Amino acid sequence: MEVNRIRALRGPNLWSHHTAIQAVVSCSPSECAIENITGFEVHLRARFPEISLFQPTGQVGSIPMAHVLELAALGLQAQAGCPVTFSCTTPTVDACVYQVVVEYSEEAVGRLAMDLAQALCQAALDDSPFDLAHALSQLRELDEDVRLGPSTGCIVDAAVARNIPFSRMTEGSMVRFGWGSKQRRIQAAEIDVTSAISEAIAQDKELTKKLLAAAGVPVPNGRAVTDAEDAWVAACEIGLPVVVKPNDGNQGKGVTVNITDKAHLLKAYAAAAEFRDDILVERYMPGNDFRLLVVGDKLVAAARRDPPKVAGDGVHTITELVNLVNLDPRRGSGHSTSLTKMRFDDIAHACLASQGFSADDIPAKGQRVNLRNNANLSTGGSATDVTDDVHPDVAARAVAAAHMVGLDICGVDVVCDSILRPIEEQGGGIVEVNAAPGLRMHLSPSFGKGRPVGEAIISTLFKNGQNGRIPIVAVTGTNGKTTTVRLISHLLTQNGLCVGMTNTDGVYVGGNCIDTGDCSGPKSARSVLLHPDVDAAVLETARGGVLREGLAFDRCDVAVVTNVGSGDHLGLNYITTVQDLAVLKRVIVQNVSPKGVAVLNAIDPNVSIMASKCRGSVTFFAVDKYHPVMATHRAQGQAVVYVEDGHVVAAKGDFQQKIALADIPITLGGAIGFQVENVMASVAAVWALGVDWDVIRQGLALFANDTDNAQGRFNLFQYRGATVIADYGHNPDAMVALVQAVQAMPGTRRTVVISGAGDRRDQDIRQQTEILGDAFDEVILYEDQCQRGRQDGEVIALLRQGLAQARRTTRSMEIHGEFLAIDTAMDKLAPGELCLILVDQVEEALAHIAARVAKG
Amino acid sequence: MTDKKNIEILRVTHLRGPNIWTYRPVIEAWVDIGELENHPSNTIPGFYERLSALLPGLIEHHCSPGVRGGFLQRVQEGTWAAHILEHVTLELQNLAGMRTGFGKARQTSKPGVYKIAFRTRQEQVGREALAAARDLVMAAIHDTPYDIATTVSHLREKVDSLCLGPSTAHIVDAATARQIPSIRLTEGNLVQLGYGINQRRIWTAETDQTSAIAEEIAGDKDLTKSLLQSCGVAVPEGQLVRSADEAWEAAQDIGVPVAVKPYDGNHGRGVSLDLHTQADVEAAYRLAHRKGGGSVIVEKFIPGNEHRLLVVGKRVVAAARGETVSVIGDGISTIDALADLQINIDPRRGSGEDAPLNTVNPRESAEVILELERAGLTPESIPAKDQKVLIQRNGNVAFDVTDIMHPTVAATAALAARIVGLDIAGVDMVLEDISKPMNSQRGAVIEVNASPGLLAHIKPAQGQGQPVGKAVIDHLFHAEKDGRIPIIGITGTQKTARIARLVAWLAHISGKHVGLACSEGLYLDGRQVVATDCAHWEAGQRLLINRSVQAAVFENGSKMILAEGLAYDKCSVGVITDVSWHESLSEFDILDAEQAYKVVRTQVDVILPSGTAVLNSADPQVVEMAELCDGKVIFYGLDPSQATMAEHRAAGERIVFVRDEQIVLAQGMEEIALLPLASLKPAKASQPEMVMAAVAAAWALNIPPELIGAGLRTFESSPKKTPY
Repeated sequence: MEVNRIRALRGPNLWSHHTAIQAVVSCSPSECAIENITGFEVHLRARFPEISLFQPTGQVGSIPMAHVLELAALGLQAQAGCPVTFSCTTPTVDACVYQVVVEYSEEAVGRLAMDLAQALCQAALDDSPFDLAHALSQLRELDEDVRLGPSTGCIVDAAVARNIPFSRMTEGSMVRFGWGSKQRRIQAAEIDVTSAISEAIAQDKELTKKLLAAAGVPVPNGRAVTDAEDAWVAACEIGLPVVVKPNDGNQGKGVTVNITDKAHLLKAYAAAAEFRDDILVERYMPGNDFRLLVVGDKLVAAARRDPPKVAGDGVHTITELVNLVNLDPRRGSGHSTSLTKMRFDDIAHACLASQGFSADDIPAKGQRVNLRNNANLSTGGSATDVTDDVHPDVAARAVAAAHMVGLDICGVDVVCDSILRPIEEQGGGIVEVNAAPGLRMHLSPSFGKGRPVGEAIISTLFKNGQNGRIPIVAVTGTNGKTTTVRLISHLLTQNGLCVGMTNTDGVYVGGNCIDTGDCSGPKSARSVLLHPDVDAAVLETARGGVLREGLAFDRCDVAVVTNVGSGDHLGLNYITTVQDLAVLKRVIVQNVSPKGVAVLNAIDPNVSIMASKCRGSVTFFAVDKYHPVMATHRAQGQAVVYVEDGHVVAAKGDFQQKIALADIPITLGGAIGFQVENVMASVAAVWALGVDWDVIRQGLALFANDTDNAQGRFNLFQYRGATVIADYGHNPDAMVALVQAVQAMPGTRRTVVISGAGDRRDQDIRQQTEILGDAFDEVILYEDQCQRGRQDGEVIALLRQGLAQARRTTRSMEIHGEFLAIDTAMDKLAPGELCLILVDQVEEALAHIAARVAKG
Repeated sequence: MTDKKNIEILRVTHLRGPNIWTYRPVIEAWVDIGELENHPSNTIPGFYERLSALLPGLIEHHCSPGVRGGFLQRVQEGTWAAHILEHVTLELQNLAGMRTGFGKARQTSKPGVYKIAFRTRQEQVGREALAAARDLVMAAIHDTPYDIATTVSHLREKVDSLCLGPSTAHIVDAATARQIPSIRLTEGNLVQLGYGINQRRIWTAETDQTSAIAEEIAGDKDLTKSLLQSCGVAVPEGQLVRSADEAWEAAQDIGVPVAVKPYDGNHGRGVSLDLHTQADVEAAYRLAHRKGGGSVIVEKFIPGNEHRLLVVGKRVVAAARGETVSVIGDGISTIDALADLQINIDPRRGSGEDAPLNTVNPRESAEVILELERAGLTPESIPAKDQKVLIQRNGNVAFDVTDIMHPTVAATAALAARIVGLDIAGVDMVLEDISKPMNSQRGAVIEVNASPGLLAHIKPAQGQGQPVGKAVIDHLFHAEKDGRIPIIGITGTQKTARIARLVAWLAHISGKHVGLACSEGLYLDGRQVVATDCAHWEAGQRLLINRSVQAAVFENGSKMILAEGLAYDKCSVGVITDVSWHESLSEFDILDAEQAYKVVRTQVDVILPSGTAVLNSADPQVVEMAELCDGKVIFYGLDPSQATMAEHRAAGERIVFVRDEQIVLAQGMEEIALLPLASLKPAKASQPEMVMAAVAAAWALNIPPELIGAGLRTFESSPKKTPY
């Protein structure tokens, strides 16, 4: 078995809506039916018993090893704890070659699972050992490494539940929600509007205290001290007991509480001085440690934090008791689990000593032994949810503290006896505020209910049910998609939006070209979706990208399929028939949001059939409103766009809007058929987005398809009284459309200049001239460097064959060089004649033509 | 006789707000000049000469003659030591870089004892300048040596470490120019602009809108570059490398020439440019690794000049260009010497924070040594006559080019800041020509920096300084906003605490989050936070820095004005109940009602032009203050026929009086509202003046009379029963 072409499908794709690993798997003939390989299944199940059945009960038939690989890769991930369920294997046109698709939740884990699954299959074949436990722990560790931590994860989950798209910006915890100008960012429990100044203030305990005092929030008295002696002086001023801590420490580092004498204080000072030079001495407030989580202007969760302790059983030593507690599987070593292992370090020993214990003592049954004085989770403490018990005054103080410092998400540390009564009554106080607080004690407290803090954070980021989405229009088809993309972008721009557009020419944002070349893939689409200025995206979505990586977006508002026709680029990547191609182009239709619209060509049966796969509604377009698909759709009260009495008509039930073709310059008053189609598709798309009809009318009137707008798409020139049209059409469907358009235009004598792109099938090259031969008087064939892998003269020969049956062409000639061919054709033009130039090197050729036209 | 001459500094008080001397914080010092009372300056031989030789800058002090040289003229004609001490203190502050102008000296009731006051921006510096000034004056009197240079450099150090940094100070000055008040929150550069709920914060060139996440992104060069690139902003292709070998490999991948720099480096440190050979790349790697202490990045070298574009909000407000630094050989001197001769002689070069350009030390700078090494030279090499030797490729970016910047270049920089998410950013770009369109040249964004230094734009080495502070302020405050909240100050001795509480209550029921600092405590939003006397500066500051407070009410006694100054710089409403002298003012050498007037008027002096003075018409001294007020005046009194009241009303202005057991609010001849005293609790009804003062203040705040009436009925005088 050979596993080739492993790809990550990072968005909705041909196979499913899931992210998935896709591979092309070639099996040897014997591997095409594993039931014939003696012992294989037995060996495999012995090594990985949890792998699912190879086929549903009762089904019989050959099972290729590719299918086993698929199930193993999925099963391994599932056993390692990844939330994955989808996989499939499909045969290709080649015998014994399969496409295997396996869902992943983390790309790296999915890739590793694929490798391990392959090793597993091999081990089963060879009857050699396979270490399942090691494989699973490898996967688990990698997953824990790369997946989001619990704090960030809960926010992302809340976003997903609200239908807000997200993407990770780093391998760490920086995440982007939403798209374009609506995007927001978080980093763990920190949001994009949280100012750096506020975070710096929260780090400065003394400044924080000053500000909190100004906000009327009770804080412990105290001051900064210069040395150990000054610390003692300060302690005496404040009154014992006191706390000593570094001014900007975190997670309880260097903090000593409940200091009652000078010796203890000096030791505490030394401990704090290890971390910082600036040390604070504060009044010690006895009581419990509470952590209140403020999000926006609300208290959303509260927890009591208890220091790590063990209870004696009269049998075990303290060391043993600690080890027993640490056996709890919920206790991990980092921040990713709900509890952390108790640390049994010097601080713990010192704490024991202060209670008169040593590590080897056996405490009496029921006797409690503290291991630390502070209650941080990261040193093994526990958290008890007390959210429902917080007195409103306490909540108000916490909110005031967060507001004063300027933190949108803030962990407020309160020390007081009880959270049920106002802090002031108990002589308690707020001892600290924390930017980017940990959330796990609220999500999965050691005791009590978890709280939906992710939802609260998402609600502050996206108010009033907003979901961070911008309108996305995806456009695909065989012909006309680039003009359609441009026209839709133009209409949305007229509507006052900054439009991001991708197509085969480049990437444009607000009219500025930010990238050139074929940009119809997911990478370009993503760059539009994350651009901070973009209010709406219009994305040409070509087949290649969908095959390679899947879509760049999880769903779109409008999907436009202009046509599939007889297809283009058939034969690549196992897309061999027009139906295959239609299934691929259908992916955008399948991913229209439930409130979105698919705009489909009613005439093209391969397109109109996609309607059944759309979760949203469908708008059909066709010139002929009586076409059965159109008529049926209309009768059902659905939206259609058609042409009637020289008008483009948009109709839905009783609603109707008309725009005269005479007012739409690119159709030349309706003469250019394929432009009428493009206009209908575009109108349907912006109608679906609710663009005002006056804006649509104006926009159509202003849209000129000149060279600046869409290079190589029916660019019109007037030259010495003759009409010159330049176009980059290169497939039979495009030829038909061009011919139809050109025939609608006046022209006493018609010339066409053409070459063929070498990477097309012979029949497609030939067919082009077959079509042209019926419409043009003269054909100038040219050949340039751009042979795309064919011998010199080969393409011209094919083109000549196409002309053999020509009904109109009376003259033809061959010229070497694109520019020379253009010059030859243009030199011969007389007033009233028409010349279609099918350009190959688009930019250069257009510049060449424009220069000649300018010269006159 | 000479032995007895001495100046004794009796007490020094920092008045932190508007005070009897001026609107701004000053240091007030009481000094006893003893014998010198009998020895004015003209009687001390050589004193004038010695003083003006020590401090030639005194020529700029205008003093009472109001002309240049005015003060020195007074010294020549004869003036007293306390006055001289004041001017010398100011001059020392100026020399130390803390520019101030205001000073005054006044005799007290005790012969030889003076009060002097001088403006200072930082208490500690002011105190030290005063002490130094005393020693200097004494040295000039006694004709003993005085080391002025040491004093000034000591004070200068103090200014550098204690005063606001130059960037922050520049922004604060721009705020002041727009009448936006400021409060320094720490000893560092954290400054609050505006008061209460309308405040904003800045910390050097960061604002409270500067996102922490955006700063994190800016700090991650790789992430920044990938974000910029995907949005179509040109960035140099680059790779992180971990060894010299990898660096050369990367250089070949990317294609020479390359630049090598520390991943986490600051501007210029450890950066080598235009490297072509393996040896150069590897040497540059080692330098970058040493300077950055970690990862090193190899980048495509983009020819052109380094530029720094400062983005504030959504636009570029200043642009500066960096220039290469070279020396030209004379055939005699070493490169090190040439640097001193040709480069470091530039007065703009220095090592301090204030100097627009750094000095160049070929012998000490590793970047320069490496650059020379690549040309086969060392700092000790002696270039031939007229040989040009390149020393530094990325020197200070300090040549202002704001005015010639092409809009597409500006748009690119602004977009880069927006992509990272920074509201203020320094965008480093390499450009061939900043005046040409972006797409007509090879250019790229090299880095986006959070909290950029502003100095290169404020004080460029060449070209015009740009008003970047103003841009920051305009970014934070809309054109018509001044960051203020309604502030009501109440001064006098007649139930001012009760008036303050009542005004706070009336403002509270009008829907505002009100802060109150009075002798009966500190109140926030209807809650007594402190129960002890809070009619002092510190408590007042608490209200102003509170981000929730929408209106603040202050009781200001005369003692507080004398000992501390007011907590706020300006107010909307100033209420004066009376001017009364009291024994307790004697300790401030305020000995009668006339002097007390000067204290109380401080409250009226700080009323904004849009504000209102509420004055008791029954006290002639209070009535006199009407003309000091920049805003409107409301008089209150029992008797509307009293001359002041009648005249004011006749002029169409507002008065509040009592008629037929009703408080009447009248504007001109129109009676706006009637509030029957009978509807009030007896305790209030028995004190109509107190009620009238509060009502007038509330009226001045545009609280509707019906609401005022309702508030009067619901207000409880007992602090236990009321939120205020």
